[in-house]
Amino acid sequence: MYNYSRYNNTFRLFGFDFNRNCLLYQRRDPWVKQYYFLPFSIDVKGFMNTSQHAISVEQLHKSFGDNQVLKGINLTADRGEVISVLGSSGSGKSTLLRCMNLLEIPNSGIVRVAGEEVLIKKNRKGENQPADMKQVERIRSKLAMVFQQFNLWAHMTILDNVMEAPVHVLRQRRAEVRERAIHYLNKVGIGDKLNAYPIHLSGGQQQRAAIARALCIEPEVILFDEPTSALDPELVGEVLQVMRDLADEGRTMIVVTHEMGFAREVSSRTIFLEQGLIIEDGTSQQVFDAPKTERFKTFIAAMM
Amino acid sequence: MDFSIITGNIDVYLEGLKNTLILVSLSLIAGLAMAIPLAVLRVIGNPFIQWPIRAFVYFFRGTPLLVQMFLVYYGFGQFDAMKDSFLWPLFKEAYFCALLTFSLNTCAYTVEILRGSIVATPHGEVEAATAAGMSRLLMLRRIILPSAFRRALPAYSNEIIFMLHGSALASVITIVDITGAARIINSRFYSPYEAFITAALFYMAITFTIVFFIRLLEKKWHAHLQPADQSVITIEAPHENITG
Repeated sequence: MYNYSRYNNTFRLFGFDFNRNCLLYQRRDPWVKQYYFLPFSIDVKGFMNTSQHAISVEQLHKSFGDNQVLKGINLTADRGEVISVLGSSGSGKSTLLRCMNLLEIPNSGIVRVAGEEVLIKKNRKGENQPADMKQVERIRSKLAMVFQQFNLWAHMTILDNVMEAPVHVLRQRRAEVRERAIHYLNKVGIGDKLNAYPIHLSGGQQQRAAIARALCIEPEVILFDEPTSALDPELVGEVLQVMRDLADEGRTMIVVTHEMGFAREVSSRTIFLEQGLIIEDGTSQQVFDAPKTERFKTFIAAMM
Repeated sequence: MDFSIITGNIDVYLEGLKNTLILVSLSLIAGLAMAIPLAVLRVIGNPFIQWPIRAFVYFFRGTPLLVQMFLVYYGFGQFDAMKDSFLWPLFKEAYFCALLTFSLNTCAYTVEILRGSIVATPHGEVEAATAAGMSRLLMLRRIILPSAFRRALPAYSNEIIFMLHGSALASVITIVDITGAARIINSRFYSPYEAFITAALFYMAITFTIVFFIRLLEKKWHAHLQPADQSVITIEAPHENITG
């Protein structure tokens, strides 16, 4: 995300980046055999964690082959914000979400999670890849994702699904995690299905289990990727109700959705993506009551 | 027909049973232990790692087990370098040769079974694991392999039974397994029917025991594929108000 190569012809061991207000140190990249500077903060846990911003992206570009999907997205989510991301299909909503937790590696731009910048380097083929997999794994474990297709692990019971990441990724104590998992499963209303397998649950129940799985890692931000799009219309309500409750608790959420009602009433902020750019951004009230662009007006007219 | 020659010489068969069981279980254990890492490397390794594994699987699946065994048992002995090497004490034993061949053979088949089921892991589950911050190794250990083993179980139980039946070939290179015992009885009394029907019954008994244990394992491992609770399923009463 950050072009370290511009420091190449300098021979300082330490530096200071005034843009990002952090100390840099020099490290040799064993793959490309060149030196680059890393911000100190990434090694000192929590050094920059005082940030207001839960997650932010700057000038995010992503293309698949010739197809440019994101063309410079700037987005900052403060703690406690609930952001709805709207857009027609192919506008890059899902890609934006997947870039945030590095399921897709952006071509350029900066991703920061809780003040920590994701470090990207070029591999030998010239493609972008994470400079430090450990850092990416740490960042991913601070973000939870809820998928359109639920993606519960089929061979585990619901309780095991919810306990998996806290126990094995965050290495928390099993007894504590179990208690918390049951708490969250009760909260999403499937406390009686602890030992059921995902296949035995309805779509709505599976998605609520997936939300409990996301909650149990106690993430900085929960990313929802069209959480209700794969559900029968009559099951959509129960999932939206759970998400509404989470929003009321003040959790930071970024929700890619086609549910206009949710965007308007629940989310504090709505953005609208069109061909890889944000063309509407504001509080949900502003955006829906007084859209700035014709494109968004026709979009809501078509959706309502 | 005279089955008293069997009951009178049952100790020959029991010796054969012991040998078959040891040979088959040791080669299955060794084969599976080698196959797991090989299958993983075959899927995620770079081409330089994949290529030799492919060649290995290709060779052992492409040639008959009997030919492989002859190559190891008779073929290696042809070379003086082999006879002079420290490995010779091992390779001159028929038992070791059979064990080695069986292990490598079942390993090759198991690699393919596991590779298939690893590749078939639902993409969404892998993505969910990635998004949860799992490292590749942890994901393999917690998500991909447990899920793959479950999918591989029916095919692998077939492989166990094939291996059991394939082990009859060991009798060709002087090992007294169940078939070997039958051949001894046959040549001693010249009563092939009694000798080999007994061997067949022994193999059947072992097969059914294996099938029984696989069933148990399936019940435990495939719980996520079975209906939630059989007792809850009720047959809906016919509607009374349907007319015409």
